[in-house]
Amino acid sequence: MKPFYTREDAGGRDDSKPGEFPYTRGIRAKRGSWIQRGLSGEGDAKHSNAQLKALLAKGQTGIDVIGDSPTMGLLDPDAPLARAAVGSQGVSLSCLEDYRELLDGLPLESMTISSSVPAPFFIAGLALVAKERGVPLDALRGSVLQPPFYAEDCGYAMHLPFALRMRLACDSIEYCSRQLPRFHGYLEDTYFFSEVGLTPAEEMALGFLQIRHISKELVRRGVEIDRFAPRIAILVNCSMSLFHEVAKIRAARRIFATMMRDEFGARDPRSHSVVITCHTSGLSLTAQQPVNNVVRGALQAMALVMAGVQALEISAFDEGYRTPGPEAHLVGLRTQQILELETDVAQVIDPMGGSWFIERLTDEMEEEIRSLVARFESRGTPEQLCDRGVFAAFFAEAMDRRHRALSSGELKQVGVNVHRLPPEEDRLLRGEAEAKGRPWHSAIERSLERKRARDPEVVQRGLDAVAAAARDRDRNLMPALVAAMADGLTVGEITQALRRGYGLAEERS
Amino acid sequence: MTQGRVRVVLGMLGMDQHEVGARVVAGLLRDGGMEVVYLGKFNTPQRFATVADEEDADVIGISVHSWEYLELVPELMKLLAERHSRVPVVVGGSVITPEDEQTLAGLGVAAVFGAGATPEAIVEKVRALGASS
Repeated sequence: MKPFYTREDAGGRDDSKPGEFPYTRGIRAKRGSWIQRGLSGEGDAKHSNAQLKALLAKGQTGIDVIGDSPTMGLLDPDAPLARAAVGSQGVSLSCLEDYRELLDGLPLESMTISSSVPAPFFIAGLALVAKERGVPLDALRGSVLQPPFYAEDCGYAMHLPFALRMRLACDSIEYCSRQLPRFHGYLEDTYFFSEVGLTPAEEMALGFLQIRHISKELVRRGVEIDRFAPRIAILVNCSMSLFHEVAKIRAARRIFATMMRDEFGARDPRSHSVVITCHTSGLSLTAQQPVNNVVRGALQAMALVMAGVQALEISAFDEGYRTPGPEAHLVGLRTQQILELETDVAQVIDPMGGSWFIERLTDEMEEEIRSLVARFESRGTPEQLCDRGVFAAFFAEAMDRRHRALSSGELKQVGVNVHRLPPEEDRLLRGEAEAKGRPWHSAIERSLERKRARDPEVVQRGLDAVAAAARDRDRNLMPALVAAMADGLTVGEITQALRRGYGLAEERS
Repeated sequence: MTQGRVRVVLGMLGMDQHEVGARVVAGLLRDGGMEVVYLGKFNTPQRFATVADEEDADVIGISVHSWEYLELVPELMKLLAERHSRVPVVVGGSVITPEDEQTLAGLGVAAVFGAGATPEAIVEKVRALGASS
């Protein structure tokens, strides 16, 4: 970066206004609020339902649910590897009954419901509960994330082969495009893999690599671009490089618009204007001096509001230890409310637009993202890049790079490698941050009881139907999966049947 | 220690997927002249005990970033005791509080490293434990 920028630095080739192609400055010309929410989910479904209701009562305007590690990894609570993880770092959701309890009393028609839980299962659970409650599927709004390329390497490992991961993603997106037309069946989550320490440009490049590939696959299947593109959204990260993050979001909107119009021939303006949501970086937060994380979250959130995101979650001050506890949730929510109601950052759209520096940075970011995408695409198909470990190596290199920068002091983190405090002085919010929960053994017991209470013949029939659907590579898996959930089959069981359909061993670990 | 170099079996327990710390420590130990058998993610206590045995490990290192260790480390210690294994166990991770440190020490865990641990302290302690095991 230069010490300062002048008129000559700004490119000036993009004079678009907010709400105009290529949507660099924002997807709407009208001022508006954003969805304010916090990452939720803890214990069993009932407990999480109470957590969600408490947040809504405090003014949260959307819902975002994450599963515990077994749920994210498609294991039932009673699986041997799952036992000690049930109900921590997220909610345990293994069958339809769990979804009933999770969504009980929540306004499905009037609120966006987003989730990081493996998409096909969350969609099935949500759709079945909506049907039971007489809520039309076309009233459902929200999103599910689709991580087929990077899931295995970066924290969402499902232990499924690339072809099956891609199929589950495309089948569920296609299903949503027909059955849940207002629901974002494809949230491109660039957050989780960028947490290894990717630069903003690297993060978006990997995101666009997947968006392009999935879009091509859906078009190849005969789904019209204007049927699914309006319901693609991107969930981005936000590090402490605030201006780079704003430029990244502006560049991402421009790249998406041009890709959809010029490469895919999308005509509907909604296909060109991508919804961007954000989760502020957990990696930028520290276990040391947890109160400092409140400041980091507020700064990142301010940058994001100025970048014009449609929904926002602030990683909480207890991030170094857990998914947010009640105090951390409240601080994150209040931060957003203060930004909206007390400051003037949301009163003008794209307030940084026209800054010589930001315009230049946006152009540079666009160029860097495009060239990185081209570089990856020249190295092989996504399947080859996954299976040869190219992405895994890229992520490992980023982790090492970040560690070297922190060790050398080139990258500074207050409380970590500079301005440290002795433990006896580092007390503020420490008790709240360190509060721990035990694994929810009751959820394991209940899962086993429910399994025992079913008719074994119905279960076997359901499993065979899922395996048969999986063997027929031309069929959409969603109807079989929804039917199996409706019959009381669990996520772990359905996954084993899918594996059987692909000739894979049913047991693991 | 059998042949001059300290051999560490290092990995993560249960479904804990935050691998950054484990990878960093693997690099530190390697750079410190030790041999690392890296197990990565998704290991049961059983697997740690078995691999430590098969690989003739001098130290077992566990990186934790979820709360599962509170349940799984006691299981591992029990398994090792049943096998009469005396290989020292080291646990590290920013989620470990001073209270947990006491609990782990009470279980016979040889060393515990929390958020403030320096790379030098980790390398030195693991080497010393490995050399005397």
